[in-house]
Amino acid sequence: MFKKLLSLTLFLVPWLLCAQDHTFVFTPQWTTQAQFAGYYVAQEKGFYEEEGVKVQIVHPSASQSAAERIRTGQSQATTLTLAQALEVIDKGTPLVNILQTSMNNGLVIVSRRGKDPLKQHGARVGIWNAGFGQMAICLNEIEHLGYEWVRFVDNVTLFVSGALDATLAMSYNEYYQLLQTGMELTEENVYRFRNHGYNVQEDGVYMTLDAYRRQKEDAERFARASRHGWEWAAAHPEETLDIVMEYVRRDHIATNRVLQGLMLEEILRLQIDRESGEREFRLRPDMVGLASSLMTRCGMLKRPITYEEMIVR
Amino acid sequence: MIEIRKFTGRSLAARLSSIVVSLAALIFVAALTYLFLESRRTVKREAIEHATQLLDNTVMRVNNILDNCIIAADNVDWLVYRHLDDPDAMYDLGRNVLLNNPELHGCSISFRPDFFPEKGRYYSIFSFVENGTVYSEQEGDDEYQYFYMDWYQLPRLLNQPCWTEPYMDVDQQTQSAEMVTSYCKPLIGDDGEFIGSLSVDLSLAWLSETISSVKPYPHSYSVVLGRGGTYLVHPDPERLLYQTIFTETLVNPNPAVSDLGHAMVNGEEGMCQIVIDGVKNYVFYKPVKTTSWSVAIVCPEKDIFGGFGHLQRIVLAIVFVGLLLTFIGCTKLISRELIPLRRLADQTDTIAAGRFNEPLPEPRHDDEIGQLTRSFGNMQSSLVTYIDELTETTASQERIEGELRIAREIQMAMVPRVFPPFPNRKEIDLYASMTPAKEVGGDLYDYLIIRNTLYFCVGDVSGKGVPGSLVMAVTRNVFRVILHQIISPAKVARVINETVAADNEQMMFMTMFIGAIDLETGRMEFCNCGHNPPVVFPDGKARFMDIKPNTPLGVDADWEFEGEVIEDIRETPFLFYTDGLNEAENHVHAQFGNDRILKVLNAAPFVSAQETIKRMETALAAFVDGAEASDDLTMLCLKISKKA
Repeated sequence: MFKKLLSLTLFLVPWLLCAQDHTFVFTPQWTTQAQFAGYYVAQEKGFYEEEGVKVQIVHPSASQSAAERIRTGQSQATTLTLAQALEVIDKGTPLVNILQTSMNNGLVIVSRRGKDPLKQHGARVGIWNAGFGQMAICLNEIEHLGYEWVRFVDNVTLFVSGALDATLAMSYNEYYQLLQTGMELTEENVYRFRNHGYNVQEDGVYMTLDAYRRQKEDAERFARASRHGWEWAAAHPEETLDIVMEYVRRDHIATNRVLQGLMLEEILRLQIDRESGEREFRLRPDMVGLASSLMTRCGMLKRPITYEEMIVR
Repeated sequence: MIEIRKFTGRSLAARLSSIVVSLAALIFVAALTYLFLESRRTVKREAIEHATQLLDNTVMRVNNILDNCIIAADNVDWLVYRHLDDPDAMYDLGRNVLLNNPELHGCSISFRPDFFPEKGRYYSIFSFVENGTVYSEQEGDDEYQYFYMDWYQLPRLLNQPCWTEPYMDVDQQTQSAEMVTSYCKPLIGDDGEFIGSLSVDLSLAWLSETISSVKPYPHSYSVVLGRGGTYLVHPDPERLLYQTIFTETLVNPNPAVSDLGHAMVNGEEGMCQIVIDGVKNYVFYKPVKTTSWSVAIVCPEKDIFGGFGHLQRIVLAIVFVGLLLTFIGCTKLISRELIPLRRLADQTDTIAAGRFNEPLPEPRHDDEIGQLTRSFGNMQSSLVTYIDELTETTASQERIEGELRIAREIQMAMVPRVFPPFPNRKEIDLYASMTPAKEVGGDLYDYLIIRNTLYFCVGDVSGKGVPGSLVMAVTRNVFRVILHQIISPAKVARVINETVAADNEQMMFMTMFIGAIDLETGRMEFCNCGHNPPVVFPDGKARFMDIKPNTPLGVDADWEFEGEVIEDIRETPFLFYTDGLNEAENHVHAQFGNDRILKVLNAAPFVSAQETIKRMETALAAFVDGAEASDDLTMLCLKISKKA
């Protein structure tokens, strides 16, 4: 028996739930939550079935990231932030973006009341052990903030407990968790990356190039059905929330309907492109260029990665 | 309401009862309001004291539980330091912690990566109880990198012992989960560096069970909030770990709940009233000093005031029923007491119907009603006597009135009342009217033709009624008799004067105008005996005759009456009248007056004597407008035409 912690239950699924037969295993990069509502909707409403693809949604384990799962072939597709995808590609695993849902960056830095995150040089700042903090690392480098990064697993306890000066948070998740602790968040103590030249797209669905070539048809069907799922979710937020809550209850996730509702709203907001005002479901070359440029400059990528590498026509 | 008013308006008993009950109700309301407010204040004060005491006890129990965890950790950490050269000893140390402290859920002795080179990167000994047996295992590996966990990170970062927020401890094999919180101590090496963490785990279910047993009221419950408002203990399992006190306020702002949350999170102590899920509650809260936790006891208002409210309802019901019974009782009692009065009222109706001798009910008591009955009896006998006298008087008066009616008929028969008076003498247009102010009057008029001469008179006896009428009758007879012997009106006046003045003890007198018109020549000889001057009214030129007044008849027996003559009065109309015309008064005692007489006569050309009299009567009736006549009224209009 292991002591498997967690204020947020990371549910361990059997290791070898890999694709068998024609099952298309899809792994969202985090635990069950409204961040992945479109996929749950597509599954529950039968959109995958309509497209003729049998999909199994498998969340990652505490120690095995989503990227690791597609790299090892345990999953055919996974969601990754654009920055994560660039890192994976940079490390030698070519990835193909088959669906882009996020059109905006949701990363924020939250510091204590009355404190500007960018004026806290040398501060202890929480960062996810699982990644997602690439833009913050870039900021730290570019602005010479000298942050001491403290890795955490999945919640805001370290920050709330006073062990950290600031913490990274997603505007759709930890941001609301902090509000839920009664913390006062203002424009002063919240730094939103998307408003300061770091508006790099986040969640997209990726496959390894090999896997994509093997299952191109399934990939396209999965992408179409998933997009359909998101569009339906945007049109039916309350029903979508019901589905999400069913999923989180089934997976014993420590959350509540209020948080999931707020998360769904924010996720749907982030899917709307700022310029066109529409839900475009496409990877933007300029944002790939921006992310690649920032990460290369900060030494996180060995070489610039292009938009063309991630899109197979 | 209208029906009630009608009922109380009809019934004295109901009205009196209503007043009594209303006053009683007013007093009850005032007294009960004061009583209830004071009682409520007392109940509230006692509830606060009771809850505060319980809260203190609860916090003390929580402190005891937490202290036990702290002591357990303190008791083992020096052993950990002593056995840093023997990593395997950690198994026994952890096991012993649980054996010595059965209330603990688990114990971890964890070291920083690669602290024991021979043990590899991960070395975290977790001790736990399963089926009554204590086990110790090394739990760290690539899959479970314990050094990112709160219970490891917090003491490292804070560099001091601390409590973690609650988290779910999942049994990987059974997939069962236990919500726990851990007390963590940093392990510091000789060089002052952090080398690991010692933590003991407390089951929140066990803590919750212990605290939840504290229930000052049937529906009250205890809540423990962790740092950030997380529910550590709450009766609703859905809220444990999943929600904070602020969660609902994110979508439904509730300042009361937010304020309570902040107060508790900030370690304040106090009491407040808030509505939770639509129920009013009193919340008593107090921090747990050794942690950043806060304990609250939530007491529904209906529980605190439940007994009081029940008592209040019973008292109000008793008061209501009491007032109702009082009303009914009062109504019955007063009704019974009023029975004699009601009988008296019935008897009064009987008496009012004319049965004056109907006996009254005998009063039963010498109270106000008895006195009223006796007074009424006295009044009844007085009334009977009065009615008898009145009956007699009325009969007498009726007899007199009957006689007067006859006298009036006789008097009216004494004056000529057939018009035209001389149908064969077309040249004579004469009309007269006499209206006594009483049954009989003292006015008179008369006319007759003797020797082709028209004799006429208009007189007014001083005084009215029977005395006047008697003088009038005498005068009229004398007038008629002496005209056969005497021609001159002045002489006629002298004879009548002597007759009336003789034996005139009553000092009666009369005015009179006596005229004699030669119908052949139109010569009028006349004598005015103190009477109103007649009016002569050729068309549109009415005027009072300027004549000698003389003196009224009966005043001076030796008075030498002087007559006058108008040579020809033909074609000129005359109006003779008594002072009942010019002195007639209306309601405001204004007199008809001489001017108005002339005005009426000038208003239209002469048509006939009768028309003139009728016109004057109409004008007079319009003037007096129904006012009672104060004097007899006599008018005589005359016009002699020339023979064709």
